[in-house]
Amino acid sequence: MSFWNLLRHITLKHLRLRKAQIFMAAAGICLGVAAIVSIGVVNKSVLFSFEDSFNRITGKAKLQVTGAQSGFPESLVETVQAVPGVEYAVPVIETDGLLVSGKERSIMILGVDVLVDTQVREYSLMGDSADVPDPLLFLAKPDSILVTKTMADREGFVIDQKIQVQTVDGIKDLRIRGILNPEGPAKAMGGNMAIMDIFAAQMAFGKDRRIDRIDVSLREGEDLEAVKQSIIRAIPQGYMVDTPAGRTRQVEEMLSRFQKGLDLISYLSIFVGMYLIYNAVSISVVNRRREIGILRALGCRRKDVMLLFLGEALLIAIVASILGIVFGLILADSLVGAFSNVVSGTYMRTSVKSIHLTWLYPVIGFTCGVIASLLAAFFPARASSLISPVSAIRSVPYAEESFFTARRLNIGGVLCLALSAGIFAMYKMTSDSPLTNNVNLLIIAELMVAVGISLFTPTFLRGFVRIFNRFFSPMFGAAGRIAGLNLQKNLIRNAVAVAAVFFGIAVFVTSIGFTYSIKKSVIKWLDDMSIGDIMVSSGHPGSSPNANTIPMPFSMAEQLKKVPGVRFVGPWRRIFMTYNGRQVMLSAASLHRYSEYDRATGDSTVSKKIRFVPNKENIVVSEPFAAIFKVKQGDVITLPTPSGPVEFGVAGILTDYTSDAGVISMNLESYQRHWGDMLCNAFFLFVHPGTDIQSVCEEIQRQFGGNRKLYVLPSADFKNEIRKVMDDMFFFNYVLNVITLTIACLGIIVALLASVMERTREIGTLRAIGTLRRQIYAVVILESILMGIAGSLLGSIAGILAGWINLEGFFVMNYGSVAGYHVPFSSIILAIGLAAFLSGLAGVIPARQAAKTNIVEALSYD
Amino acid sequence: MTKLRIIFSVLAVFLLMSPLAYAISGREVFEKVQALRNKKLDQKAEATMVLFDKGGGKRTRTLSMYGKDAAPEAYKVLIVFNSPPDLKDVGFLIHAHSAADRDLWAYFPEFKRIRRIPTASQDDSFFGSDFSYDDFSGPPDLNEYVYKIIREDEVIDNRPCYVIEVTPKKPRKYSKYIIWVAKNIWVPTKIEYYREKELYRAGAFKDIQTIDGIPTPFMYEMENLKTRHRTVLTIQSISYTTKYPDSLFTQRSLERGAK
Repeated sequence: MSFWNLLRHITLKHLRLRKAQIFMAAAGICLGVAAIVSIGVVNKSVLFSFEDSFNRITGKAKLQVTGAQSGFPESLVETVQAVPGVEYAVPVIETDGLLVSGKERSIMILGVDVLVDTQVREYSLMGDSADVPDPLLFLAKPDSILVTKTMADREGFVIDQKIQVQTVDGIKDLRIRGILNPEGPAKAMGGNMAIMDIFAAQMAFGKDRRIDRIDVSLREGEDLEAVKQSIIRAIPQGYMVDTPAGRTRQVEEMLSRFQKGLDLISYLSIFVGMYLIYNAVSISVVNRRREIGILRALGCRRKDVMLLFLGEALLIAIVASILGIVFGLILADSLVGAFSNVVSGTYMRTSVKSIHLTWLYPVIGFTCGVIASLLAAFFPARASSLISPVSAIRSVPYAEESFFTARRLNIGGVLCLALSAGIFAMYKMTSDSPLTNNVNLLIIAELMVAVGISLFTPTFLRGFVRIFNRFFSPMFGAAGRIAGLNLQKNLIRNAVAVAAVFFGIAVFVTSIGFTYSIKKSVIKWLDDMSIGDIMVSSGHPGSSPNANTIPMPFSMAEQLKKVPGVRFVGPWRRIFMTYNGRQVMLSAASLHRYSEYDRATGDSTVSKKIRFVPNKENIVVSEPFAAIFKVKQGDVITLPTPSGPVEFGVAGILTDYTSDAGVISMNLESYQRHWGDMLCNAFFLFVHPGTDIQSVCEEIQRQFGGNRKLYVLPSADFKNEIRKVMDDMFFFNYVLNVITLTIACLGIIVALLASVMERTREIGTLRAIGTLRRQIYAVVILESILMGIAGSLLGSIAGILAGWINLEGFFVMNYGSVAGYHVPFSSIILAIGLAAFLSGLAGVIPARQAAKTNIVEALSYD
Repeated sequence: MTKLRIIFSVLAVFLLMSPLAYAISGREVFEKVQALRNKKLDQKAEATMVLFDKGGGKRTRTLSMYGKDAAPEAYKVLIVFNSPPDLKDVGFLIHAHSAADRDLWAYFPEFKRIRRIPTASQDDSFFGSDFSYDDFSGPPDLNEYVYKIIREDEVIDNRPCYVIEVTPKKPRKYSKYIIWVAKNIWVPTKIEYYREKELYRAGAFKDIQTIDGIPTPFMYEMENLKTRHRTVLTIQSISYTTKYPDSLFTQRSLERGAK
């Protein structure tokens, strides 16, 4: 009796007979694999798109010199050019422009010295790569712009056409002097970019004699590291000299943090799939006990029986994983655009039109799917090999032979929870060690919490059913009593179905709790922060600080102050700069004035946390900044400024969610003095008491909105926009939640179908003594709802714990920010209700099957 | 004896036809061309430049050119555009310390800033025309090239010419030039630019008139054979008796449009 014969003649027969059950089990693995593949592929596609655009824009540059986002003096180009080993040092301005003509869209504008830039980037104004009829006119006129052929075709632009672009000085007419063919940098950003001569870009975007970057190519044969060090020695402190690969690595790190949270959810989806496989194989073992007994009696070895069931699981896993890969790729393709928009608004500009296929994530997904299925099938397969031929043929109930007793499961649960606590404690206490301060450990701790609590499912279910039987079952009549008894009869098998719901709800509550807590903390922080009555911004108020917006001239503050009703105007500027090799945000505002005008508190609570360092200009830093750079209140730190390094005293460490990169807050006057930058990203206005805020907003829009795109919002509306942005950020969490809940429902259907099959004779007996079809229907539906409620209650407990770990560990330890955990009660109630509803829905098919049972056939069922 | 005579005759013809038999070498031709160019260093010219694109459209601009012999250095050149209005007072300044060592600047009035043109770009198109910056500069350094007469007495515009192959010793944008130099007046009448073996640009210098004793083409045509773009520079007036002060060839003067 060879294994292959068994597989061919027995396994395939059973797979054909139990298509529905197999489908459910496979669907669980399929969805889990799809989640892994889709997240990985989407993330990789965004990164690939960014790198591709970056490399096209970088061209032959081997090194890049960058400074603060406000720009640095263009005179540095000559300094770098003079460094031995440097072939060309070319200046670059890279900024966003808002295209107002036609459909409003944000485009990337590259400002380059076109007379020398072609030595580094692969294009030419006077060659085949561009159609520029009059290059001299392009150079001579400040309103000249070149657009890509892709953009021209899409927008219907032609040469010599005027387009409107928002700049620092408002909406300006620019004239298209040429069109770039789709090669080199013109292919970056999906063609969503334009080129201006650097002098023209400086004028348009308020970069008076400043540039954003120097791209450096090296002479042949020069050592990269040696030239890099020479450049670092030649230029003042505070500039970053890095390879283009080094800069994309920073982006990779940012994206990997974003991905880690999603990875957790996708792996939990696989876990749920494992439960379904376990359930399906267990049911198969139960239903084929007699067959197993006969096989053993005919001489089949234990090993062969075990391999038979593992082989079935492997077949299901292979098919499911392949389907999961296909589905995952389809999902990735449909979500990549939305993901790209979230990343663009949150982290860095990118434009992804289609997925970038790699073998890595399909292989990971396939491997996870197969291994998870085999692991899940192992115990029931092993149990099948232990069935004695005599007991199988005599039909002794399966439950007596089960390895997994409630007691053993409870012990396992305690061990898992203890392990989780230990890992988390180690993670918290050894924050300096790279070995233990590792997000993967945190993921394991969360998984252990989920697994540990799930192992208590039979015990919990027993208690739950007891409470139901005692207090609630009479309300549902005979159906209620039968449902309660059925649940109690096979706790372990029913517990598996409950566990499927448990995991779905646990993932849901973990995710919701995490996002709810962060949102609540951010909104509370915003409420505490004095931002005035009206916000005037050039960028969408919900756009992330990481996203580039076109700033406004500081001089606008004086004009805004003249608007009737306005009492005080607080300009705000934010830039990114490099501090100790990392990018941090610098936020500048006239801080001391806000408390004078804060009608709500009069004396801001924030000021009580500040202790000024004497004889120094003072700054306040955010918690992530303090955590990343090990800075305390009272320390003195040196910041690189365009005018040279300057010492600042750290007057306080405050909560600031503006950027996870770390925020330095300083007075606007200090910033303007040291950075020489007279631009603002927003103005926060206070109005006189009793003034109608809406009418002031309208007046501002009327006076200033004609010449520039402005967002003028009352503070309450601004906070609502922040809430919407946060919802967008957590969009993928919600998508994965839906996937996990779907898998959970599949688990219920599988368990109930098996239950119905096992109770065929019992159902037949009930029907024979007069139970109506609708009553049978009600019993199964009720069982289903009860399993859903039980699973969701337990899952909520696990979700609260896991969500807390996620917040305390992942968020606080990695971002340094304090965000208190808030139990999302309303979401939990909704989740329980949803679980009950979906479980009831999942019970419809098994209920119909049970209700349709033929009495005569059922009574003769063995 | 007859046989010997025939042999000597054949040898003589062979020797006469070989390059060694030219009365003058390629280098010598260009030394004469250079000498003539050196006489033109002090100059003022008014010119019209017309750019024709492949679709037949044309752009016309007028410019003034000022040149100065800057001994002991090489030369200085200032070019200022006079029209159209969008390009008025756009300028271009060259200080040649030697034939090979030149500084170039450009000025665009609307930016009120002078910008340097890197040395590497000096093979590139002169402000969108089909001429390069080199074409507007003074004499090149003869030592940077190898000269070989490949034909003689080819007639261009009724003038017999030496046809000389000029190859740069160091890699440049063009791997080879073929230049027709009119005999006796030592003025180039035609030029071809090659990249590898491919003809890239072609120029013709026509309407040669003698001004202040110096033969001068009054029409320069250049065509980019890849883009089918053509530029025609027509001299309206030119004088070689000027003696401009150094102050005209400064960045300040460039900013003022040579006023």
